[in-house]
Amino acid sequence: MHARIWGTRGSYPVARSDVLRYGGNTTCVEVRVGDRCIVLDAGTGMRPLGAVLAAEAAPPLNIDLLITHTHWDHIIGFPFFDPIYNPQASLEIYGLRRTQSSLRTTIANALSDPLLPVSLDDLRAELRFHEIQEGLCFELGPVRVSTARANHPYRALAYRLETDEAALVFIPDTGPFHTVLFGDERIEWAGEPTASTHDDLRELAEMHARIVDLARGADWLLYDAQFTDEQYARFPHWGHSTASQARAIAEEAGVGELLLFHHDPHRSDDELDQIVAAQQAVARPALQVSAANEGRVLGKQKDER
Amino acid sequence: MKLQFWGVRGYVPTPGAEYLRYGGNTCCTLVCGANGELVVLDTGTGFCQLGDTLMQREFRQGRGELTLLITHTYWDHILGLPFPGLVHTPGNRLQIHGPDSTLGSLEMTYDGMLSPVYSPVYGLAHIGATHSFQPISTEPFTVGGLTVRALPLSRRKHSPIWAYRVEENGRAVVYITDVRYTDDQIWKQALGFASGASVLIHSAPYTRSEHVQDYGHSRVEDALDLAVEANVGRLFLYHHAPTRTDDQLDALVARYRASLASDRRPLELHAACEGDLITV
Repeated sequence: MHARIWGTRGSYPVARSDVLRYGGNTTCVEVRVGDRCIVLDAGTGMRPLGAVLAAEAAPPLNIDLLITHTHWDHIIGFPFFDPIYNPQASLEIYGLRRTQSSLRTTIANALSDPLLPVSLDDLRAELRFHEIQEGLCFELGPVRVSTARANHPYRALAYRLETDEAALVFIPDTGPFHTVLFGDERIEWAGEPTASTHDDLRELAEMHARIVDLARGADWLLYDAQFTDEQYARFPHWGHSTASQARAIAEEAGVGELLLFHHDPHRSDDELDQIVAAQQAVARPALQVSAANEGRVLGKQKDER
Repeated sequence: MKLQFWGVRGYVPTPGAEYLRYGGNTCCTLVCGANGELVVLDTGTGFCQLGDTLMQREFRQGRGELTLLITHTYWDHILGLPFPGLVHTPGNRLQIHGPDSTLGSLEMTYDGMLSPVYSPVYGLAHIGATHSFQPISTEPFTVGGLTVRALPLSRRKHSPIWAYRVEENGRAVVYITDVRYTDDQIWKQALGFASGASVLIHSAPYTRSEHVQDYGHSRVEDALDLAVEANVGRLFLYHHAPTRTDDQLDALVARYRASLASDRRPLELHAACEGDLITV
């Protein structure tokens, strides 16, 4: 297994000079195992990924897209992904099952009038949608995929991709598991912590345990670290974590490397360097801590790219 | 009147070193009147950075007022709206002008964009700033000392795409994007609308010789012809293609400046560049 990071940013893409090292594209990660090509999330990083895939000597024609959730920053690259215009290509698209709207309808509505002129029926590639429940495990060829629920407004998925050689865990959007329980309803926040009910706290504890299980022993954990402590105190209702919260999960799960992910749009490269250094200073010796950067390749790479 | 470009890219934002000078944010242009009026043309991702800058002024205290002129509701023209802090600061006032579509009003389109499946905002009702939507019409209106005119130029399946002309003391900025000159009538309308403008901002993602799928856009040559025929002072090419690097844009502008000069056509040509502040 090897993976390449194409987008690390959260909320919206950033095209500034002070984010060039870690990157300004929103979340997208490419995972390759043999012939298998799996894409995690469809943020703006998906556009350059598509161009590179289309230029490969033998472009992958069957692509699996695993979507954590459909907030804009996670789907905005989709219509600019070259393979969807290739009549020989097919995409298997996985996302959370919802009672309110089918995954296909959610994607179709985002791409069509009055928001864009693209109709799913006009796309040349064949698209198949797979709605999954949190907790579902399935196989994509040699890759075992496990899922869990992340603590994020309107719910989101967390994914683990594992082969006999390596495991990568992708949790780009989640709040911590001690105060606010996110479901489908909007959380009102008036500047004071809402008193969580006993049931909420129990559900949070269970979600926490399942997230730690999902990440257990992974080689790489890409985890939401959008907020500083100060931001978290002000905006706990947006469903994002801090770097120290991410590190705590990584240590509990005993992962090899924590890659801080879903960087805040305002966070400069230099600030990220400092955040990483601060976490490295306190992390257990067995844990490597870095911040995910665009272009980083994880694991062995068989091809020459 | 001054104007400043905050997002000049079309279709999709393009972060990265090779797009840094002209900028990778999608469409957003600020027009400032002599009396401090603030008019924003489209709210692509450029609006996020504009919003950060405005938050250093009266908008932080909830005392800011913005008029937004939306050409149409494709992503690259609206997705920046919900992010800046000023939009979530009670007391700030947003007047949003733009087209309804046959699928729903402008307000419904924004509300849908902010629905929980797409956004943690959970709908327009949770935008803290005072906001009101005005369906656009061809009836001119004023924003302080600025006069705004609007024209539906290009027809799409469900709604027209509007062009805007902002005037102050006899000088005008004209903003035309995503237009397709499919017949003479549209061309003549555009010509009349842009006539004598000091500045024309015109989408021009591709040249005539580039073979790309037609997403409904005029070509660089159309923008040049329109600007020359309409006696425009300065033309800013806008809505750059996502594949167009800074170096390619430099070369493109140099090439067309040379052809304008050799044809003795009087026009000042630029590619719109994020951050540039222009006195009209």
